[in-house]
Amino acid sequence: MMTLSNISARSNQWITPNIAIMAVFLFTAPFWLTAVGLYDYIGLEIVIWLIYAMGFNLLFGYTGLHSFGHGAYLGVGAYAFGLFQHEVAVSLWGGLFAAVAAAGIAGLFVGLFLSHRRGLYYALLTIAFGQIFWFSAIKLRGITGGEDGLLNIPRPELNLLVTSIDLNNNVALYYFAAIILFILILFLWRLVHSPFGRILQAIRQNEMRASFAGYEVWRFKLAAFTISAMFAGMAGGLFSMAQQSAYPDVMAVHQSGLIVMMVLIGGGLVSFWGPVFGVILYYVARDILGGITEAWLLWYGLMFVLMVMFRPEGIAGVIHTLNQRFSKRPATQKAQVT
Amino acid sequence: MTQLVPHIFNGLTLGLLFALIALGFMLIVGVMEVINLAHGSLFALGAYFALTIIGVDPIADTGLGQWWLSLPLVSRYVVALFVAPVVTGLIGMLLELCLRRTYGRAPLYGLLLTFGAGIVIEETIRLTWGTGEQNLTIPDAINGATFFIGSIFSKYKFFAAGFSILAIIGVWLFLEKTPYGAIIKAGAHDSEMVRALGYDLSKLRLLVFGFGASLAGLAGIVMVPIWGLRPHVGIDVVIPAFLIIALGGVGSFGGAVIAAILVGLTVGITGAYASAWSMMSMYILLIIVLGFRSRGLFGRASALEN
Amino acid sequence: MAFFEARNIHKRFGSSVVLEKIDLDFEQGQISGIMGPNGAGKTTCFNVLTGRYAPNRGTMTFEGRDITGLSPQRIARMGISRSFQIMNLFDDSAVIENIMIALPEFRDMRSNMIRPVFRDKMLEAEAMEILSQVGLQDVAWEPSKSLSYGQRRALEIGVALAAKPRIVFLDEPTQGLGAEATRQLSTLIKQLRERYTIVLIEHDMRFLFELADKISVIHWGQVIAEGTPSELQSNSWVQRSALGEIA
Repeated sequence: MMTLSNISARSNQWITPNIAIMAVFLFTAPFWLTAVGLYDYIGLEIVIWLIYAMGFNLLFGYTGLHSFGHGAYLGVGAYAFGLFQHEVAVSLWGGLFAAVAAAGIAGLFVGLFLSHRRGLYYALLTIAFGQIFWFSAIKLRGITGGEDGLLNIPRPELNLLVTSIDLNNNVALYYFAAIILFILILFLWRLVHSPFGRILQAIRQNEMRASFAGYEVWRFKLAAFTISAMFAGMAGGLFSMAQQSAYPDVMAVHQSGLIVMMVLIGGGLVSFWGPVFGVILYYVARDILGGITEAWLLWYGLMFVLMVMFRPEGIAGVIHTLNQRFSKRPATQKAQVT
Repeated sequence: MTQLVPHIFNGLTLGLLFALIALGFMLIVGVMEVINLAHGSLFALGAYFALTIIGVDPIADTGLGQWWLSLPLVSRYVVALFVAPVVTGLIGMLLELCLRRTYGRAPLYGLLLTFGAGIVIEETIRLTWGTGEQNLTIPDAINGATFFIGSIFSKYKFFAAGFSILAIIGVWLFLEKTPYGAIIKAGAHDSEMVRALGYDLSKLRLLVFGFGASLAGLAGIVMVPIWGLRPHVGIDVVIPAFLIIALGGVGSFGGAVIAAILVGLTVGITGAYASAWSMMSMYILLIIVLGFRSRGLFGRASALEN
Repeated sequence: MAFFEARNIHKRFGSSVVLEKIDLDFEQGQISGIMGPNGAGKTTCFNVLTGRYAPNRGTMTFEGRDITGLSPQRIARMGISRSFQIMNLFDDSAVIENIMIALPEFRDMRSNMIRPVFRDKMLEAEAMEILSQVGLQDVAWEPSKSLSYGQRRALEIGVALAAKPRIVFLDEPTQGLGAEATRQLSTLIKQLRERYTIVLIEHDMRFLFELADKISVIHWGQVIAEGTPSELQSNSWVQRSALGEIA
């Protein structure tokens, strides 16, 4: 079977052709989104979910740790952003910092419990902790606003040196989120090719071997979990801006399952870019299928089942296979540029 | 202390109900090392099948429908109690046929496939039976309230708890006392051995999955008069089932039953002091137990750890 | 005091005693052999010596330092390296990456999240050097799952060597190899003896007698004989098993 190490094997570049293509799509999107029948807000949602999904895939695809409660950290980020605006100050950077820090601390704390566990029990504990966060969000009504959540979260201005930009416009907020996503992609790309990233991938393949090579496996697992929680926190902060509210629904186990589905369908298990395909497909499917039928989730679920059965390497894997079939270059050389 | 007694009793009943819910899940995870996340959806499906069997809405106006509806509720209910799980079991077998593609791959794929299948089943339920809350009517004999140890209990809870005990004993007898159970247990530990004994492993898996699914369906029929019937009831079910297996330890029948009762008691007693947090207490219980015993209370080594 | 010493090692699993009062000494610069029939406790002994299991009783010292009960990664970082009998590679990764990850220099960079691994030509050259020691330089960039059985064995040894070990434990390196591959392996280990201290666990007696300076025979969880190959030739157990009665 195909794995992450087959594709994107080795890169020492900051910018690869794929990153450039990503940048072009990302920064031109507001010009053609409406032309293809979509709208600005869906672009914003996709970008936010991409931050979440790419960070999640560091844990899921690269480190091989299956978290089924990751929505919790997105939720923690969203609440932290909202609470910061309500209780501390209306500040963009302050709020985002609070979101990332709160999710990171929550991730670190949970990760300490998780990191000596493997396989099923790891997955289970992520669910259990996810449920605890979700329950707390519903029950701690005084802080979180209960089932309704935090409402009226402002979108603070983006202050640059000479001017300030109003993010109440969805396109402006889109660009802001897109820049953050792009920076995070650059960072992740470096990370997965760094010694740290390679060790995470080694742990996925063989935990015992990694520890006999002298690595404290649990610390790497903890670090991967915390980093991916921080990505989720950033996404959560932006999400609460986009929605101008924060609510417990995103922390439910169903939502945490959806991110797993997106990443898997996209091909996160075999490619750095898997989550991108997966997230886009999900939102486009939701809008297009959702416009045709109420039961769009049925078709999406059916597609997922077929994918797991016949194409577990996901969209990215299919693209890779097609590429190889039509490419005359030898596979090893190809791997260097992917 | 005395005011705690009803809560303990409540917790015990709840624990037995949890055990009933977890039985099918346990069987499948123990024998096939597949985490069946569609368990909750099969649970709901069983209850919806029973709903249709009892009420026969699609053919209620035909002669056959009229004749059926003229029968007493008790007999229709009993028929549903047997037929609906069998139909659910058939759906489970269909799911197992899909699952075959994932054997030999990491356990993750079985889990993901059943997660997807769970969504498909849930959405199908929405399309077929609508999204609203429905009632499964139960015979008068087990309806209403009764006095017990100084408090009012619904008769139905007694019925459900008694039914759970019967189901637990039934599955236990099946596993321990029949040659079939012996093969299943051999399958749990060593698929080579099953083959060496001359049994068809793929048939065994098909039957186990079917049996596990019908147990889920049966649990659904028994549980929904207490919990209510809505399409997404499954998710409220699969997570506790999952949790009970982890707590009891994968592959341990006794462990699962003990864990279920422990969870029931924890939820029941927490309910006495902080009812809003009662459902959360079970997650905390799990974290505490897994903090000390990584394989749960009675678990053995399993491929699922990799 | 010997370079690596195990004293009075006991290991139980539940109620069954697998190792009972094992004493072993390995001298620097030598090839030491441990042999015995299957099920004699060789692999358990190996796992205890390399830190996978802590012994129930007894002590182990390496260069005079007590290493009893340390975690595998601590033991690995002290310069004790091991191969695995069940081959345990990073299957998806390229052959060279299996080696790179085991290098101490790589380990020192383990928290670096920014620097691309494959830009580091020093690291690559060093990994290539080790691959050429085990004869795998030509397949360096292949995924390791594409290797033949014999090549995987060689890579196992290469990974153990990459850690720049002060002592290498090799667990049944000939297992599953044909006559030709075993001969090649024997040549390889002879080349390595100049640079490394090696402990071999084997049940292929001929292989071990050809290579080892000193051999300990383990049976029923105990060391039943010890000595140079020539001394052991006269041991009755060894003679019997050489005739095929036990092994």
